[in-house]
Amino acid sequence: MDKIICLGKNYSDHIAEMKEAAPEMPVLFLKPASVFKEIKNQGTISLPWERGLIHHECEVVFKLYKKNIIGLGLGLDLTLRDLQKELKTKGHPWEISKVFKNSAICTPIQGVRDFLNWQETPFILKVNGEIRQESKLSNALLKPNDIIHYVDKFFPICDGDLIFTGTPAGVGPLKPNDVIEMKFGPIETTFQLVSENG
Amino acid sequence: MDKRQISHDILNILERLRIMHDLIRDQNYEDIPKEELMNDMNESLALLKTRFDSLAQ
Repeated sequence: MDKIICLGKNYSDHIAEMKEAAPEMPVLFLKPASVFKEIKNQGTISLPWERGLIHHECEVVFKLYKKNIIGLGLGLDLTLRDLQKELKTKGHPWEISKVFKNSAICTPIQGVRDFLNWQETPFILKVNGEIRQESKLSNALLKPNDIIHYVDKFFPICDGDLIFTGTPAGVGPLKPNDVIEMKFGPIETTFQLVSENG
Repeated sequence: MDKRQISHDILNILERLRIMHDLIRDQNYEDIPKEELMNDMNESLALLKTRFDSLAQ
């Protein structure tokens, strides 16, 4: 993988909850491969809790080959929310609120054919048994082929790149020892967050 | 081409071969036809050899 390409503001309900203006097109940003973490079922992940509030953003993930979607996963685009707000207020770039160790978590990728009608398949994030985010890709503002076409206008797409396709409403804080459950069609992954030294 | 670039190329080719391996293993020829995949694989293997030769010099 060369990079992770992320969409922001691709679901109208999330734009509304953030009380931000809807852009003409979704926002694009990158995360480097070095912050990627594939999470296996029953695994643990450490995060830099000392840096402030960490928010989850649950998103459908595309894996690309020759600009085709060859696999799907469910990802967590993690955000240092207080830091991001501060940087936005100052009019500064906000990469450092998005790029930190394990800030791009993803379930193992499944082949597209393992899904029945994947754009209509619900994806769900639970934290400690409570549903925090639930939606389906057909609710997104940009459709899958439009996402790839849009990204391709700005970034060179390499084979193996991932696209995090944006998050619906329900983003919220995480804390150490939270148990995370992610479900999307045949994908079901449960893992626990731990402190960085844990 | 410097060795860092050659090394980067090699890792990218290996990643591409890993994806091709998964697609061929799963016989997932819906978006990428089998003939195209096999052609890509041969090209990547040939390129991998030239890059390894360069790295070894």
